[in-house]
Amino acid sequence: MKISSARYLVGQGMKSIWRNRMMSFASFCIILVSLLMVGVSVLATINLNRIIGGIEDQSEAAVVIKDGTDSGSIDALKAQIEQIPNIAEVRFYSKDEAWENMKADMNDEEQDLFRYADENPLPDTFRVTVKDIRQMADTTMLIGTLENVDSVKSPTQFADVLISIKNIIMIIMTAVIAALIVVCLIIISNTTRASVFSRRKEINIMKYVGATNSFIRIPFFIEGMVVGILAAAAALFLTKFAYESVYGIFKNDMSLWNILGVNDLYPFEDMFVKVTAAYLIAGAVIGALGTSMSAGKHLKV
Amino acid sequence: MVEFKDVSVTYSSGVDALNKVNLKINDGDFAFVVGSSGAGKSTLIKLILKEINATSGTVMVNGFNLSKLRRGRIPSLRRTIGVVFQDFRLIPTMTVYENVAFVLRVIDAPSKYIRSRVPYVISLVGLQDKVKAYPTELSGGEQQRVALARALVNDPQLIIADEPTGNIDPALSYEIVDLLRSINECGTTVLMVTHEHDLVRYFGGRIININHGSIAFDEVIGGAAENEN
Repeated sequence: MKISSARYLVGQGMKSIWRNRMMSFASFCIILVSLLMVGVSVLATINLNRIIGGIEDQSEAAVVIKDGTDSGSIDALKAQIEQIPNIAEVRFYSKDEAWENMKADMNDEEQDLFRYADENPLPDTFRVTVKDIRQMADTTMLIGTLENVDSVKSPTQFADVLISIKNIIMIIMTAVIAALIVVCLIIISNTTRASVFSRRKEINIMKYVGATNSFIRIPFFIEGMVVGILAAAAALFLTKFAYESVYGIFKNDMSLWNILGVNDLYPFEDMFVKVTAAYLIAGAVIGALGTSMSAGKHLKV
Repeated sequence: MVEFKDVSVTYSSGVDALNKVNLKINDGDFAFVVGSSGAGKSTLIKLILKEINATSGTVMVNGFNLSKLRRGRIPSLRRTIGVVFQDFRLIPTMTVYENVAFVLRVIDAPSKYIRSRVPYVISLVGLQDKVKAYPTELSGGEQQRVALARALVNDPQLIIADEPTGNIDPALSYEIVDLLRSINECGTTVLMVTHEHDLVRYFGGRIININHGSIAFDEVIGGAAENEN
């Protein structure tokens, strides 16, 4: 194909967006809404994962050290625990530190009860966080077999609940996203088909004067791609605006969540490149393929 | 050249549209194809354009054997044929110039050639003042002349005019046939399908009458126009 012909076909694609502006606008809206629905669902899933991940990170096991263990043995025990593969972090929590923290959390009446206690009743412990919360039970069992370990207290039940919640959310969100994608593709395909159907006579004339299928398809392809990219740009703008508003609310008014062990949402800047690329590629591909495939149905003349 | 050898067409509905038709239209001929509705005229044209395939027999058009022509080569066949339809079939969103130039774009013609050829062909049909008009701004007769220019611009070997005067004033019909005849005088084969007997009687020439899917009459007759001259 000559450069002049390629330029002509691209020009025709651009012109037909304006010539068929009502149908182009309909396609634009459908692609925009579809991208928004899928995009927002994906972002919500990613952030839910991060929030649950944050809770997981805060799940600690407490390793109670036998009373009377000397500091050398405590160091040796710490080294032994750190060598276990699933261990993320081991922090020594002395009985004195625990005693002070406990007293700080007590109200006046409770403090009165312990005022005359001459001995700290609490043990030295290690606070242990794990890499994979699903292996929490196995890991704590292994720690329990080590020398100088009195007992291991771990939130294994809580871990199980978290894993169940995470799995359920993942299954629901995957199903929702998959259903949304299917519904969007059907709607987009119908819209582009209607757009192409309104120009079937034009396609018919092109065939009679000897136009090849690719010559007919290319302007539709360009037109669909441009409409898809425009819809993607609008979806990106709306997503950024909505996301940053929600992010601001979390950041300013729900900072308590952090204290409870819940991470913040991902800042939009961290995801900007990926979200932009995903929207633009999805918009261009949906628009271009949807339109040119619909055009193909009218090519058999 | 168009040649039909023992061509039959039976549609999936069971209707026999053509029945063992033998027909030869030589290069440079001008022929009227006449016949009542459902006689097989449209089937004849669809076969020539390879919109449909013959159930049996051989169809040769401008050197293409249509029974052996692959789908991908159909555009090559159609580029040797100019078609004029009863309903004009112009692209409403394109100007007169663009509607005609479009055919040359399809065949990847050089821009320079398009810029010189299109105004020339538009002037041949007398619409040089309307190059920037859109089809909806033209009368029926003018639209048909644009369709003629579009059929001509590619310098085809054969022009098929399917009821070209069906949608225009009777007075203008003679003008259109006159144009077709002058195109024919330049060497282009013209096949005009019509059921307007007055026109046929006036111009005369080769008349092919199709009746119930068979050639009932294929003769050259003298026309009133010749007597006038």
